[in-house]
Amino acid sequence: MASLKIAATDRSPAVLFDFDNHHLTISGESYPEDVSTFYHPIFEALDAYLAGLGDGSCRFDFELIYFNSSSAKAIMMLMEKLDEAAKNGASIEVYWYYDEEDDTMQELGEEFGEDLEHAAFHLEKMAV
Amino acid sequence: MADDELFAREEATMAIAEQLLGDGRFVEPEDREAYATLLKDYRKLFRTTRRLMRLADRNERELGAMAAKQRLAAEEISRKNKELETLSSKLAKYLSPQVYESIFSGKQEVKLASQRKKLTVFFSDIANFTETADKMESEDLTQLLNHYLTEMSRVAFEYGATIDKYVGDAIVIFFGDPESRGVKKDALACVEMAIRMQKRMGDLRDVWHDTGIETPLACRIGIHTGYCTVGNFGSEDRMDYTIIGGGVNLASRLEHAAPPGTILISYETYAHVRDEVYCEETGNIRVKGIAYPVATYRVVDLYSNMQEGAAHIRAELPHMRLDADPQLMSTEEREQAAGALREALARVEAASTPPRLGRAKMSRRALAGA
Repeated sequence: MASLKIAATDRSPAVLFDFDNHHLTISGESYPEDVSTFYHPIFEALDAYLAGLGDGSCRFDFELIYFNSSSAKAIMMLMEKLDEAAKNGASIEVYWYYDEEDDTMQELGEEFGEDLEHAAFHLEKMAV
Repeated sequence: MADDELFAREEATMAIAEQLLGDGRFVEPEDREAYATLLKDYRKLFRTTRRLMRLADRNERELGAMAAKQRLAAEEISRKNKELETLSSKLAKYLSPQVYESIFSGKQEVKLASQRKKLTVFFSDIANFTETADKMESEDLTQLLNHYLTEMSRVAFEYGATIDKYVGDAIVIFFGDPESRGVKKDALACVEMAIRMQKRMGDLRDVWHDTGIETPLACRIGIHTGYCTVGNFGSEDRMDYTIIGGGVNLASRLEHAAPPGTILISYETYAHVRDEVYCEETGNIRVKGIAYPVATYRVVDLYSNMQEGAAHIRAELPHMRLDADPQLMSTEEREQAAGALREALARVEAASTPPRLGRAKMSRRALAGA
């Protein structure tokens, strides 16, 4: 499956879904003008990938510095998709990277992790 | 208010729901399962709400901090701008407006460089200023000099002159750089400015006389049009935008040769202004560095001014000079002037008619000779 690459802009994160290596990353800041338009192709690509993953394994890295409330909802939807895949037998590892000085992002990460019932969750500090 | 307090009602609702789920009131297991799923989703939704609220609050805090930072930065920028404006307006007073404008607009590079241009150069100073200065207290002298230079500079700016420098009571001005209206128009603007300055000096003499300046101040002006080298001279650290060259020396020499209260111009300037300015030829002067004598002209006035004051009577003839303005005279002065002119006329006519005695002598001499 072809990789999905979206370059970062001032308002949207970089997306690199390397499906062949089962390593998916979303990084940067997320407050696009239209969250639905931005995340729609990402959801589609992830759905297609997870549908074929079966009991395979996958790693998803969230390296976000800043996101708005609409993006938070989109992130939760990504997490739900990953958790659903894990529920269906895939081995999913979710990494949440946070800025050491940003307590809120750390707490949000912890809470996102609590929502995951099947996928493995890891909370990591961003490399300086 | 603490986060828990905000959501106390929701927490209580969930506690009751848990209690209901545990007290065995659901008969059908499907009903219990559906209720448990509903409660689970409610909990998730509740967590999401809290999370989004916290995120929104955090983002708002960040935006507030950024806005505060931006406000501070804007205030700092505004303060710095004001400082720069104040500083540049102070610095502007050390530069001619045209030079200041050309530097600040980026048209002029601030580096040691020069170019040759045809300019009209103006020199002026106050005749016998040293004597006047010796009689005055320093404070009065400063006030007088600043008043004089301010008034003359005001006239210069009106005519778009580039004020090169003040040297004591002397003023050096040029036309044709950094902006030029063409050599002819630059020369005319310079001469018109000089005429205006001399007229202004006439007004100021009365003002100064009233403030105790015993001897009326009169300024001498020299003007020449010619090629000069104009640009930045000095060192990389300290430079002056000025002019140098033989043309500058000639203008200075003309100023020295000008009688107090007059404007002396070179032939080169005269050639450009003669259609508009009435001038009188005043002979040649010798200037160091110029092999040939330099023809000079005394500026009388603009023709347009002279037509306006048609009542002004002026005649410059060999052995005769007449300068009268009947409009300015009182009735008594007019009668005196008319009397003086009648007497002058009678004498001139008498001089042109040989006396009878003389005629008789001539006849006798003629006869004797015959």
